[in-house]
Amino acid sequence: MMTETDWIVLAGSAAVVLFMIGVAALLGFRQTTRLDEADLARLAAGEGARIDAAIIDTEGKGAVARLADGNLLIARVMADGVSARVAPAGALGLSLERDGLRVSFADLGFAPLKLKLAGDAPDWVRRLADGGQT
Amino acid sequence: MSAPIPPPFEIPDIVTYAVPGFVLLILIEMVYVRVTHKGHYQALDSAASLSMGLGNQVAGLLFGGFAIGVFFWLSQFRLFDLGWTWPVMVACFFAEDLAYYWFHRIAHERRWFWASHVIHHTSQHYNLTTALRQTWTGVLGLNFIFWLPLVYIGFPPTMVLMFQAISLVYQFWIHTELIDRMGPIEWVMNTPSHHRVHHAINAKYLDANYAGVLIIWDRLFGTFVPEDANEKPRYGVISQLGTFNPFRVAFHEWAGIFRDVRVANSFGEVLGYMFGPPGWSPDGSRKTSASIKAAWRAQLPRPFTGEVS
Repeated sequence: MMTETDWIVLAGSAAVVLFMIGVAALLGFRQTTRLDEADLARLAAGEGARIDAAIIDTEGKGAVARLADGNLLIARVMADGVSARVAPAGALGLSLERDGLRVSFADLGFAPLKLKLAGDAPDWVRRLADGGQT
Repeated sequence: MSAPIPPPFEIPDIVTYAVPGFVLLILIEMVYVRVTHKGHYQALDSAASLSMGLGNQVAGLLFGGFAIGVFFWLSQFRLFDLGWTWPVMVACFFAEDLAYYWFHRIAHERRWFWASHVIHHTSQHYNLTTALRQTWTGVLGLNFIFWLPLVYIGFPPTMVLMFQAISLVYQFWIHTELIDRMGPIEWVMNTPSHHRVHHAINAKYLDANYAGVLIIWDRLFGTFVPEDANEKPRYGVISQLGTFNPFRVAFHEWAGIFRDVRVANSFGEVLGYMFGPPGWSPDGSRKTSASIKAAWRAQLPRPFTGEVS
C-alpha cells in the first residue's frame, strides 16, 4: 500500500522528470534525421545485404527495402538515430492504406511504421500487401 | 533462528538521498554536451529513459516490499550470525558486488532475466539519463534471488540492501561518454570506459564487463574487454527498438517470450524460449550474442603461425 509520503515523492519525481526533459528540449537536443537511399544502402551493407528496391517515406521518417536475398529491411527514424530490422516478408504485416503503407511487427518493441508515399506504391509493395512474396 | 541483528546506526534511504546529485550531474552533463558538442543527448531519448526511471520507482513502491520480505524471511534460517562489524561489512561489500556480477551476467545470458534487464540497454545513446532507464519488472522477474545466498549465509538483510543501494548509486556516474580512460583506477574499479564497452553492440564488445563496482570479477571470470580507441562503441540492443513508448520498452521482451512459448512444440522449446540465451530458437535461425561473436571471430585475420602452406 502506498503512503502519502510515497505519493509526494512520486509527484516530486514526476515534476523533476518533466523539468529535465524541458531543459533538454530548451538546450536544443531536438535533433532529428531523415532517411535517404544512401542511409538505406549503408544499413543493408551492415547486415551483409544488398538492396534491390526501396520506398522511402516522403518526409524521410521510415523506409522499406527489398533485399537481394528476398528479406525486407525496415528502417525507422528514431529522432536523431535509425532503428533498422531485417525480416522475411512473412514475419511482417504490410497493408496499403489511403495515406500510405503500414508495416507492423509482432514485436511490441517496434511500433507499427507508417510510410507516406509520394505516388502509387510500386508493384512489389502491392504484391506484399496482398499477401504475396517479394 | 532469531530475527536478524538490527544495524547499530540508522541507515538513510541512500538512493533517495542521491537523487538530487543525479539531477545536478545530468544538468551539468547536458550543458557540457551543449557547449562542447562532446557526447550526445536527444530529448525524446532522455524522456524515455527518465520515464523508465520514474516507472521503476513506482514498481519499487508496489513490489519492492516483496523482495525485502523474502530477505527477512530467509534470514531466520541463516547459517551464521554475522552481525554488524567492520570486517563483516567489508566482506558484505565484496559479496554483494560478486552477487551483482553473477546477477548481471545471467541477466544477459538467460532470456527470463534479460526480459527485465534489456530495458536498461534499449537507448541508442549513452549519457547519465541512460543510467536511470531501469526495469519495471525486476522484482516480479525474481532478480533478487541472486542475493539470497548472502542472506542465507548470515549477512543481515539490511546490510545487503545497503550495499545494493551503494552499488546502484555508484553505477550512475559511469554512464557517460565525457570521461575517458582513467589509468590505474581501471585495474580495480568499474569506470565509464569499462561500462561503455558493456553497453556496446559491436561484436567485439558483446557479453563483457558485467561489473557493478569492482571490475575485478570480469578480470577473474574472463569477461573483461577493454575499450579499443579504434572501435567506437555503438549503443543499444542487437534488435534495436523502434519506439520511445515506455510501456512498449518495459514489456516488449516479456511479450516476445509469451509469443514464442505459445507456439512452442515441446517442453524443451518452452524452456529454451524462457531460459535459453536471448535470441535462442529451436532451429538456430535467430541471432544470439554467441553466434554474432563467433561470426565476427571467424572473419578476423588469422595470426601468422610461421607455417606457409
